[in-house]
Amino acid sequence: MSPEVLAGKQNPDGGWPYARGSSWTEPTVYAILAMLVAGEKARARRGVAWLKGLERPDGGWRPHTGVEESTWVTALAALVPEDELGAAAHGRATGWLTDATGAESSRIVRLRRWLMGPVADPDLEFAGWPWLEGSAAWVGPTAVAILALDKENRLPKARQRVAEGRRFLMRRRCSGGGWNYGAPHALGYAAKEYPETTGMALAALRGEPAPDMERSIGLARALLGQSRSADALNWLRLGLAAQGALPPGYRPPGEVVYRTVPEIALSLLVSAGPPGYSLLLGMDGSREPEAGSRNGGIAPMEHAAGRSPTRTEFPPSADGPTR
Amino acid sequence: MKLQLTRRKWIAAAGGAATLAAGCAHRPAPGSAAVSIVRAPAYDQTLYDTVRRMLALHRLDVRGRHVTIKPNLVEFEPESTINTSPLVVHATLEGFRALGAASVRIAEGPGHRRNTLDLADAAGYFRLMPDFEDRFTDLNLDDVSLVPLPRPFSRLTRLYLPNTLLGAGLVVSLAKMKTHHWVGATLAMKNLFGSVPGGVYGWPKNVLHWAGIHESIADLHSVYRRQFAMVDGVVGMEGNGPIQGGAKPVGVLVAGRDPVAVDATCCRIMKIDPLRVAYLRMAAQSGAPLAEANIRQTGETVAGVATPFELIPEFRGLRLERG
Repeated sequence: MSPEVLAGKQNPDGGWPYARGSSWTEPTVYAILAMLVAGEKARARRGVAWLKGLERPDGGWRPHTGVEESTWVTALAALVPEDELGAAAHGRATGWLTDATGAESSRIVRLRRWLMGPVADPDLEFAGWPWLEGSAAWVGPTAVAILALDKENRLPKARQRVAEGRRFLMRRRCSGGGWNYGAPHALGYAAKEYPETTGMALAALRGEPAPDMERSIGLARALLGQSRSADALNWLRLGLAAQGALPPGYRPPGEVVYRTVPEIALSLLVSAGPPGYSLLLGMDGSREPEAGSRNGGIAPMEHAAGRSPTRTEFPPSADGPTR
Repeated sequence: MKLQLTRRKWIAAAGGAATLAAGCAHRPAPGSAAVSIVRAPAYDQTLYDTVRRMLALHRLDVRGRHVTIKPNLVEFEPESTINTSPLVVHATLEGFRALGAASVRIAEGPGHRRNTLDLADAAGYFRLMPDFEDRFTDLNLDDVSLVPLPRPFSRLTRLYLPNTLLGAGLVVSLAKMKTHHWVGATLAMKNLFGSVPGGVYGWPKNVLHWAGIHESIADLHSVYRRQFAMVDGVVGMEGNGPIQGGAKPVGVLVAGRDPVAVDATCCRIMKIDPLRVAYLRMAAQSGAPLAEANIRQTGETVAGVATPFELIPEFRGLRLERG
């Protein structure tokens, strides 16, 4: 796989589709980041120009030109570097994000819950982020919002929301150490842990001195060995790298198929090493994530230490085929 | 006996009374519909002939029309009973092609897992249909249109829905016969939750839960006017469905033009009282047949194939006491 594959999927309007067809915000953001890391500035900027057109008056972002709602993709827009998106737009995205919470955290819902009976649900103590206003917070959008806001830790409200969001994630950790998309249990039954949400949560919990994180890392490593989904492997790689625990020399199995633009773009980003991690995790792009921790950082084959964070050569056909 | 009425129970009772009162007003007389029950003891090659005969029974004229089959695809587990069997899906696809459909597509938008094609691959769809990817539309990522809901039961007044289904000449809801831990049973009508695009509403489509699950099921039923419903009850799921329940062999396929009548028949087969399933009662308010007397049964009788599905404690009150 190479950046050219991704470049070839760019639509004439500057955005990227999920697989084919019209442009959507999510694939466009991941593609912009991958193009920036690949040094394809012109393509990235055409993507940014398309992306800017999807901002709404409330400072949030639409997922698609045909949708008039601000959604979780605002967090993705905020992942685009400020000097590319523009300081004002970036600030509005950050502001929208710091104000967004799951509906279960709203005053009206808390009051209604009190009226319905004195049920203290510890899962609802901390606010996370929803996919869409008016619905509950979930692991996926919360993890991405944390990644975006963690880069804005100069803002007190962003710091506070990130800290609370991480507590939200810890409350939703399943008994095996991983994460489902939602609560760790439903109606008394344990929820199944998913590889992709486990990777997302681990990425969002970077630097969190959480208890028993080794259990989560152990599960993520096991899932890394079992999963054959590109999406799952991308997030597991990112999550484990954020925790300084990606197995040395790890390469995705050759039979993994990269079918969508987010799968291709994220794979390029995580394969790029520090420059990719810099954009996704907000960490210093010139060094390995958590170097010296757990297993000495990420595998040498996974990154290009010492290179500019804005230019990376991708290993040819490093991953599986694309469709 | 002392009656203990908590705030929770009082509010729930008041809400239920209001719903009942609203439902009694202006209810049209119920129509009638044909539903066929055909024995299908195993997932084997005989299904192709069984499905072909079943479609012939309903005299569907799909010549020149674009048919879209919407299976229930939930989890990465080919050996479990979570997903609509790929064999049933393929047999249905071949059945509609034999009837002269201009095109037959398969489309689904899973509610939990984002990597739909990986999910379909793991669930065995690619093994049976090597060209599955060319035949398939991911409804979570399809282009969308904003659709007003006619006489909504839920708090929603409109929904973004995928153009592939909105433009289909016939939508075939090809569900799995399962219990469901929020609504009692998930069949052809609940299966349409998968038509709500995750690209707009997220994973899961939690906005439907906040708007009322039963109400949203009834709303979605009203949107798609050209439907055919078929339920894979070769092996269903009982207990804590739709994901964590146990296998329940029934050995039937159930089908008909009216999803309400098909679902009501499936409920009776599962020994669930359809008159106690709230979304069926709501859908019946527009005249859809729910009572046994208004459903013309062909093939096997309900009594001949009925087998009680285990119900979790929250839904034991749905048990059909007779029949």
